Amino acid sequence: MTDKKPDPRRPDENFEPFEETRRIPWPVYSIAIALAIWGVIMLVQTSTAVQVADKTQEEVAKEDSTKLAQAAAPDLDAGKTLFADNCATCHGDAGEGVAGAFPPLHGSDVVKLGGAKAVTHIGMRGIGGKLNVNGDGYEGQMPAFGSVLSDTEISEIASYVATGLNDDAKTISAPEVADIRKVAGDKDPFDGGAGLAGLINDLPAQPNSEAADQGADSERVAQLVGQGTDTVWACASCHGDKGEGIETVPRLAGLPAPYLAKQLHDFQRGTRFNDSMAYVAKGLSDREIGELANYYASMSSPSGAKPALQGDLKRGAQLAKQGDWSIGVPACFTCHGPSGVGVAPNFPGIAAQQPSYVAHQLAMWAGGARHNSPLGLMAGIGKALNDSDRRAVADYLASLAPMPAMDKTELAAMESNIPVREGVDQ
Amino acid sequence: MSNKHPSDIPPRGETKSSRGQTVLRAILAVGGGLVLVVLGSLLVDFGLAPSWLTGATRDQSEAETAAAQSGGDGKQAALFQPPAESTIPDDDFGKSVRRGMAIFNDTGTNAHDYVGNDLSCSNCHLDAGRQAYSAPMWAAYPVYPKYRGKNKMVNTMEDRIKGCFTYSMNAQGSPSGGPPPYGSDVYRDLQAYFFWMSKGLPTGEKPEGAGFGKIDKPAQEPSRQRGEEVFAQNCAVCHGADGQGQKDINGKVVFPPLWGPHSFNWGAGMHKVDAAAAFIKHNMPLSEPNKLSVQEAWDVAAFVDSHPRPNDPRQIGDVTVKDAFDKWHHKHQGFYGKEVDGELMGPGYSSGEQASVPAQNENSGG
Repeated sequence: MTDKKPDPRRPDENFEPFEETRRIPWPVYSIAIALAIWGVIMLVQTSTAVQVADKTQEEVAKEDSTKLAQAAAPDLDAGKTLFADNCATCHGDAGEGVAGAFPPLHGSDVVKLGGAKAVTHIGMRGIGGKLNVNGDGYEGQMPAFGSVLSDTEISEIASYVATGLNDDAKTISAPEVADIRKVAGDKDPFDGGAGLAGLINDLPAQPNSEAADQGADSERVAQLVGQGTDTVWACASCHGDKGEGIETVPRLAGLPAPYLAKQLHDFQRGTRFNDSMAYVAKGLSDREIGELANYYASMSSPSGAKPALQGDLKRGAQLAKQGDWSIGVPACFTCHGPSGVGVAPNFPGIAAQQPSYVAHQLAMWAGGARHNSPLGLMAGIGKALNDSDRRAVADYLASLAPMPAMDKTELAAMESNIPVREGVDQ
Repeated sequence: MSNKHPSDIPPRGETKSSRGQTVLRAILAVGGGLVLVVLGSLLVDFGLAPSWLTGATRDQSEAETAAAQSGGDGKQAALFQPPAESTIPDDDFGKSVRRGMAIFNDTGTNAHDYVGNDLSCSNCHLDAGRQAYSAPMWAAYPVYPKYRGKNKMVNTMEDRIKGCFTYSMNAQGSPSGGPPPYGSDVYRDLQAYFFWMSKGLPTGEKPEGAGFGKIDKPAQEPSRQRGEEVFAQNCAVCHGADGQGQKDINGKVVFPPLWGPHSFNWGAGMHKVDAAAAFIKHNMPLSEPNKLSVQEAWDVAAFVDSHPRPNDPRQIGDVTVKDAFDKWHHKHQGFYGKEVDGELMGPGYSSGEQASVPAQNENSGG
């Protein structure tokens, strides 16, 4: 029995229940070393890039300041370029205006009477009411450029409008603009033509201003925005005191009330995802949502956004103004209105929006994480753009002046139309 | 090794074959690592690395696919590409081209006296007249002069543009009461723009991408009722539930009206259901061409074209709708001269109802 052949199923008598230490094969080391080398190369590359960028930024800043020191008279050619970049989308390349919508700046009686000084005041504060130019009536909702253009830039544009587009001989200098900024910089937009009457002597007859009605529940809403309630925190704690937003928190000021209300309802229902906003929206009643939407729609505040994503502004401008039909993308302004001021109720203003927010949302549409745009229009556009396009257009939009607040009378008319749709609309 | 430290003495009893293995492995590992890095960077340099790894979101082939999709039937990549705006020459000819482009994109402002509605050329000729299957101007320019059945004569480009003003821009309702007179700078500048855009195309040949493209016949007779649903779901967001377009807070028309007093009139090509269906199929909703099925495109075209609009400008004096129908419309696939929900299509509007400049207090139309 002992010399019986050992059962092959039984373990070897020399079996030890542990594994012999084996060396890690050299290819594994190879890969680890390759990764390490790559990491070091990346580190070195990034730090050089940052150094180069810092240096160029310093140089640009230095150049700017020397330029500022030298500039005694405003540069009219620069003014023409700035006009094309900032004014032409509404007033036209030659300042001819758009019949029934935007008053002409070329051969305009308001510009002729007020000169470069009045143009500066208007550019700085914007206009928020009806006005007459050359006898024609206009709605007069013009953005305030004070927060997006420097004194030099405003002096160049205003001087170009007064002397280049009209025959006035007088220009305005940057220091004079700075003085105007001290007085007018943080004031609300002019109340239409009536508001201009105090600025320009002998202005032809202008429509009466409509006194803005504050509404009965404005105090309650202000509390909701500023302090929050027991269940939800204050809107302003993230979106800023003036609804201007920061980084991935969007600017809300001046967005159409029905658009804001729809987004809050979508957060509530879960058709748009964001943990913080879902929490807040669930703590709001339908009535509060309506009131908040109106509050932000009627708010005009300076731009808090600046290009920050190293996007190619020229490409961004192309996408915004002409689109890129070779990839199936129409111009942003085709739907979001001239200069991105928005078209109520479905197309929000996109001017002066925080660039990180815009780029983030475009990426979310592309990936399907956000999917609540009408007809899924934004999903297709988000997908068609590549990463650098998204950054380019976000940065370009951030360089624009903020859209003016929505007219109070129009708000009241729209209030009954604020959608509280229960069905899935997208 | 002069210094004989005990650890330098090889351990006793170990076989010689394994000596130096660690060093060999180290050399192989480092060498392999370097080779991997070099190979990897070469791959990235030659664009052979997959895009999910490098983070490049759109390489060439993807861009081509996107272009093909936007074109509709996959032929877009091979279609004529008009020159970029940046190549407009910086001389007097270039100035004329730019003026023409400005007229094309905002006709109501830049040719104000001759426009009697809220439309611009670029509303139907998308991307400033460059988009294939959206009646691009580069495809139209090389085929004129040509004989047209519409007025039974040889038409020059100027004649043709005059027709656009007369019908699509409803010039009869404009401040001047008609299209630009022959020889007007409006024609000159528009033709300069079209000519510049079609550089390199042979004359006399209709290029691929011309017109609104072909559309198949629908399986079922186009239905206004089904069309109304298609419209509510796919068009109303932009063109408004009432089809009257939308304006921004300044009253600037952003989305064009599709019927009613401020839209194209009963003589415009777009009032024909087949033309509208082809345009809609290949271009609408904006940025989502071919989203609608053939049937849906025909249905919604029938819905849009079965609403009142300004009258046919040829129908003057004592020409009745019936006369006009027999003379100009009996061969068209349209609703002219027919009754829709008890209302006769064709009599148009009185001049007061279709003033060219929109009223200032109008709601933005949503």
